Amino acid sequence: MEFFERFAVPNPNPAIYASMVAIVVVSLAIIIGLTYFKKWGYLWREWLTTVDHKKIGMMYLISAILMLFRGGVDALMLRAQLAVPDNKLLDPQHYNEVFSTHGIIMIIFMAMPFIFAFMNLVVPLQIGARDVAFPRLNAISFWLFAAGAMLLNISFVIGGSPDAGWTSYFPLAGTEFSESVGTNYYMIAIQISGIGSLMTGINMITTILKMRAPGMTLMKMPMFTWASFMACVIIIFAFPVLTIALLMGTTDRLFATNFFTTTNGGMDMLWANFFWVWGHPEVYILILPAFGIYSEVISTFSGRNLYGYKSMVGSMVIISLLSFLVWTHHFFTMGQGALTNSIFSISTMAIAVPTGVKIFNWLLTMWKGKIRFTVPMLYSIGFIPLFTVGGVTGVMLAMSAADYQYHNTMFLVAHFHNTIIPGVVFAMLAGLTYYWPKMFGFMLNERIGKWGFWFLSIGFVLAFFPMYITGLNGQARRMYTYSEATGFGPLNFVAFIGAGLMAISFCIIVYNIIYSFKNSPRNVGDDPWDARSLEWATHNPVPEYNFARTPHVASSEAFWDAKKRGHELFKGEIEEIHMPNNSGVPFIMGVIFFIAGFSFVFALWVPAVVGLIGIFACMLLRSFEKDDGRHISVEEIKATESTYGGAHS
Amino acid sequence: MKIDQTQPLEYSTHQNELNIFGFWIFLGAEIMLFATLFTAYFIMENRTGNGPTGPEIFEISPVLFETFILLTSSFTIGLMVHAMRIGHKKAMLAFLGITLALGLAFLSAEINEFIHYYHVGATYQTSGFTAALLTTLGTHGGHVTLGFFWGLCILIQVAKDGINPRTANKSFIFSLYWHFLDVVWIFIFSFIYLKGMM
Amino acid sequence: MKELFPAKQVGGYIFSLVLTVVALLVYFMDFSFPVAMTILLVTAFVQATVQLVLFMHAGETEDGTAIYTNVLYGIIIAVVTIIGSLLIFVWDM
Repeated sequence: MEFFERFAVPNPNPAIYASMVAIVVVSLAIIIGLTYFKKWGYLWREWLTTVDHKKIGMMYLISAILMLFRGGVDALMLRAQLAVPDNKLLDPQHYNEVFSTHGIIMIIFMAMPFIFAFMNLVVPLQIGARDVAFPRLNAISFWLFAAGAMLLNISFVIGGSPDAGWTSYFPLAGTEFSESVGTNYYMIAIQISGIGSLMTGINMITTILKMRAPGMTLMKMPMFTWASFMACVIIIFAFPVLTIALLMGTTDRLFATNFFTTTNGGMDMLWANFFWVWGHPEVYILILPAFGIYSEVISTFSGRNLYGYKSMVGSMVIISLLSFLVWTHHFFTMGQGALTNSIFSISTMAIAVPTGVKIFNWLLTMWKGKIRFTVPMLYSIGFIPLFTVGGVTGVMLAMSAADYQYHNTMFLVAHFHNTIIPGVVFAMLAGLTYYWPKMFGFMLNERIGKWGFWFLSIGFVLAFFPMYITGLNGQARRMYTYSEATGFGPLNFVAFIGAGLMAISFCIIVYNIIYSFKNSPRNVGDDPWDARSLEWATHNPVPEYNFARTPHVASSEAFWDAKKRGHELFKGEIEEIHMPNNSGVPFIMGVIFFIAGFSFVFALWVPAVVGLIGIFACMLLRSFEKDDGRHISVEEIKATESTYGGAHS
Repeated sequence: MKIDQTQPLEYSTHQNELNIFGFWIFLGAEIMLFATLFTAYFIMENRTGNGPTGPEIFEISPVLFETFILLTSSFTIGLMVHAMRIGHKKAMLAFLGITLALGLAFLSAEINEFIHYYHVGATYQTSGFTAALLTTLGTHGGHVTLGFFWGLCILIQVAKDGINPRTANKSFIFSLYWHFLDVVWIFIFSFIYLKGMM
Repeated sequence: MKELFPAKQVGGYIFSLVLTVVALLVYFMDFSFPVAMTILLVTAFVQATVQLVLFMHAGETEDGTAIYTNVLYGIIIAVVTIIGSLLIFVWDM
């Protein structure tokens, strides 16, 4: 019995108990449902063992949306607690747990899978490939993400949630000040998920550089592919830093090393340093694919080629390099000298320039275009002014001397939400709507979608712009309450209303999915948006092999030119297609990583070591495996194509 | 599977090319992995708390032995690739075997080194300096250990199946990994040991 | 590349041994810190380049440009991270 005490939540409250019950009930419901409808075989064959980039993309998408809700509920709790002075909804401990979980989930387990979803779904189609370079590795990436996400998500009901912020600074995150296993969960869940991210980076770079359709030179690639490529370049060089930082944090907590302690030569600030060497490139990893989606959407719904292709590419290349040169701006006040702060101040201000170039290019794309105000276009148009405000406040924060006033106030919180929400979240929602017919063969309802957009935009402004003001007036971040005398009350209440509107907008979006599933016509054809790039030259939904014949490309708007200028995309005979086989190993590895990770969190050394051995056993199996995949015959391809009406390929 | 007869076997199919290229990208990531460890080491170099400093615990002989062994193993694995490209299976296996044996010798020297550090009071828990030092050396040693077992699997596969596009591809990639570990060691040798002992 | 005797490998190996001996000089002789660091940096980077070009055949395929770019990028960011961190915590704190 004593053994089980370690799994108890150190600071329970009714909401946590209710959640425990809910988790058990939902899990049982899922298991019973699968058994009753006899879907275990289907689940295993079609989803758990898949190596198809489209299905992996969908799994990332579903995970991201679920995590958006978890993180969103956290946000609502925070805003509710701060809506009035001296509120008693959340005590300080729970407030800390909620804002930590909110940050970790939104960045690592919502935004990252969202961009990976689109990279997986769209990039191979945009370059005319049949899958990614390493389909098996792709599956492992997803299941490692899932294992990490599951680990973090159960922390608040088993053992205790992380509570040292999403940045988990030492010495607060050390064993002296964070006694529960919450920070262990942090270190290990993010580590596991991070390995998956690095693998996706390697996979996408290899795919993009070596699997493009004939004729597609680098400077003829669609912009989303370029954006994904540059994001993955950043992933390659940023994630290993996090790997080591998390390793050091783990050894400090589990093995009493002195990396980040305040005695015996430890240096607590080194954690912050490494975290942000990774952390700043991370936000560019998130924003670049978002920029890619905006490029696709804006050019499609302006009816024009993207303005300034070369400078769009150049700006992303510059951003990827500069993103590694600015990290100290996250801790200007930590005690280093003025020379250091000045250098990083200048580099931080410099990185605003290439982004500015992109904004102008998007505006110039829209200039004199025939604008269609579809839902994806609304998000893109809303992004431009809102993100610009966020960017400009970023330049304010970049001035190190001024930052001594702004740092760790609500001004900072407003800034980063101002860039992430209009920047990343709007793009993901635009992408979701835009690519929905490609994935599912029907459209999301436009009218409902527009309601969602307006509730989100207005809600966002109401929620976050007041924080700029209260931050300048002195309201600190990560503070669970404030007194009435501070005068922060009214604006915080406005922010709470805004959060409520945002919550309604997400409910509208979910309602849209359900409504459209029931009511949208299914005969939308392969090109419902009259789009421009190669992914729209496939059928809706896309067949397993993507393209019956590999396309031949002659410009950066291959599909548009095929439609409008009669360029022939698909020439020659249909040939047998080689496809990889499904495999259960990635899923099993994910499960083993979860078990090993859980064991490490609780310092259960025997299952931890057994788990590690299991991981190596899976790798051993893979080494000796001789699976060369299978072939889809010409007859089968022709049969599949004819069921689609044989439209393009 | 289309085989390009004009290329060395390890590059001869499209998937083979992808595998090698993907591994190079991975090595780029590994550069950053070890760079982070070196960053921590350089910052923590003098943060020895109550424990010993580098000059107090480093010994030149084992370090020279480890360096010479690893460098030679890098040479022998180069010979392995050369033998593979001219189709000499027995020579290839011999050189791979020697490489792995040298790797094992390196590891036993390093384990001895760690035991020595433990006995002179430089344990993993002693100070920031020892944490950084032992994690850097340990991560490199862990990579060598993983490499030893990986190489062993490849040795078995080549012995069984001979030199074909699959085994050639795996062997070549393994050689990239092994060379990279020697490159990292060059920097460890220069900037941890020599810098610490000069 | 089908010659029997691995001349490149032997040459590279001997050159690496020489570079290692040169680096060792900083242990056996009494150089000033800047001189010693220069010797170490030069010998280390030269030996790494030998490994990269000669042993790892980095440039031998059409992917050579991408591979060199990847390695160069990694080295640049590695150096920035190391120098930047030292600046923050040791030289300017």
